[in-house]
Amino acid sequence: MRVMAGLVGLVARVPARVQAKLLAAFLTIAILLILVGAVGLRVLTGVNERTEELIKLQRKIEAYRQVQHDTTSQLYSVSSALLSSDDATLSSTLRQLNQFGYDVDRLQFVAKDEVELLARFRQSYDEFVEIVTHAVELIRTGHASEAREMQAVQAAPLADRLERLTNQLVNKSEADIVAGIETSKQAYESSQWIVIAFALGSIILALALGYTISWSLINPVKAIEARLNQVAAGNFTHRVEVINRDELGALAVNVNKMSEELGRLYQQLETASKHKSQFLANMSHELRTPLNAILGYAELMLDSIYGEPSEKMRTVLERLQANGRHLLGLINDVLDLSKIEAGQLTLSLDDYSLGDLVHGVVSAVEPLAAEKRLAFKAEVAPDLPTGRGDERRLSQVLLNLVGNAIKFTDKGEVAIRAFATNGAFTVAVCDTGSGIPAADQAKIFEEFQQADSSITRAKGGTGLGLSIAKRIVEMHGGRIWVESEPGKGSRFYFTLPVRVEVQAGP
Amino acid sequence: MSQRILVVEDQEDNRRILRDLLTSADFEVIEAADGEAGLAAAAAHRPDLILMDIQLPGIDGYEATRRLKADAVLHAIPVIVVTSYALAGDDGKARAAGCDAYISKPYSPRQLLAKVREYLSPAAPLG
Repeated sequence: MRVMAGLVGLVARVPARVQAKLLAAFLTIAILLILVGAVGLRVLTGVNERTEELIKLQRKIEAYRQVQHDTTSQLYSVSSALLSSDDATLSSTLRQLNQFGYDVDRLQFVAKDEVELLARFRQSYDEFVEIVTHAVELIRTGHASEAREMQAVQAAPLADRLERLTNQLVNKSEADIVAGIETSKQAYESSQWIVIAFALGSIILALALGYTISWSLINPVKAIEARLNQVAAGNFTHRVEVINRDELGALAVNVNKMSEELGRLYQQLETASKHKSQFLANMSHELRTPLNAILGYAELMLDSIYGEPSEKMRTVLERLQANGRHLLGLINDVLDLSKIEAGQLTLSLDDYSLGDLVHGVVSAVEPLAAEKRLAFKAEVAPDLPTGRGDERRLSQVLLNLVGNAIKFTDKGEVAIRAFATNGAFTVAVCDTGSGIPAADQAKIFEEFQQADSSITRAKGGTGLGLSIAKRIVEMHGGRIWVESEPGKGSRFYFTLPVRVEVQAGP
Repeated sequence: MSQRILVVEDQEDNRRILRDLLTSADFEVIEAADGEAGLAAAAAHRPDLILMDIQLPGIDGYEATRRLKADAVLHAIPVIVVTSYALAGDDGKARAAGCDAYISKPYSPRQLLAKVREYLSPAAPLG
């Protein structure tokens, strides 16, 4: 396995394009296939050649057997012809003898291995033919007894010799065919092993090649994928190490560059965001200090610390105070929102009583409702469970909703209802005011979006209150929404878990 | 004899508002513009109550409060810390420094007066 890992590394380091590497791998496998095919073909040809050889041997044996048989019958017919002394028989026998000689001559073309044996046969046959011809002449000239003696003394041993030679021819070629079969069998076995070994070698080589090339590509892809997952999760510190010197190596280099660049930008962004939050905190302090002085003096004057002000002056002082408080509200809202956006607003989670929270808000806004002669009521369900959350921020939400309801209602009533169902609090603020068109109902929870910007100026308000309320409710894991129809009043609702143990994301 | 209040506040307007408010309510007002001066004035005049701003040049209000509360003689004087940021955690820091009460800006002079009276006449607390 370590060898394979080394090979994978080696292939990865080859400075070639992925395309070239794949092409080389596939070509190698194709060449291996061709080689296996060629070796198989070669072996097959060998087998075929040996088979043909055996067939030739077989034919030769048949020919020799024929010669053996023919020789025997020739010798027999010659000896019977010499006995009969009939001239016509003798002539035909001599013709047959010569004819057979030609047949034997033709054997030369097949019997390449038995040339010497065949030559001896031919020589003996020629001698035999000569003796027989001589004997036939003796018979024709009336020396039959001499002819018979000649046959017995000279022709008979030659005939024996001829029979022996033909036997030898047959025996030798039979031995040849046995040897040929044995050789063929051995050759077949060895070629079988060659083909098997070659095929196995090729398969192992192809598999190893496939494994190395695959893993030299898969490893970097996996490493890059893991690295990108880390980047996606916001971790920019690590680098991906890829040894490939191909497109994947280039990809890894770029991934590293991208990750570094992202990390750098992220850090810049974080620093900038911190600076911004710090700036806003400082700014809001700097803005509030003189504003506090203005409001403080106005209140002291209204409290007649510096002498009794005239009625006209009192009116102006009250306007001064109202505008100063509005400005303070704006500053606070902008600070709150910027802290929420920077993810720096943390909830102080503690136990609270929703009933007390509602009553606190009621006592803060009751004078405002009374001033506009609005009916104002709060229905809190009895036996509400003890809640857990940021009481101060939740009061801010309810105060904003009730403040808006009073602001936008000219006659009728404003009501708060609070109850608990299935582990969640629901708080509703209902009014009989002008209502909100459906198109504006989603927009009012966005920053600086009031249904009608002219109302902002007429009624006072920052346009941030509902946006902040939405964020605070969501940080408690809750939801805020409105149901309204123009002319039929509005009903704002928010729900939140009774027990909020962990702050939800901003 | 009128009761004496030490105001430690670096901002002149805020100091003046507190002085005008408290003087008109018949308190005697001593002023200090930074932490060091505040500690010195506390030792010299033994006020009945101290109003302590947080953002002060030199040692800040938390540190000044800690030192007052660590002093064998001065620790009994009630300290009301005036936190300047409405940031979460400031009230905790103020309590950790050992103050008796805190009020966060913006405050209304009337509220502040009520808080001061609460700590000066324990027999008859207001609000």
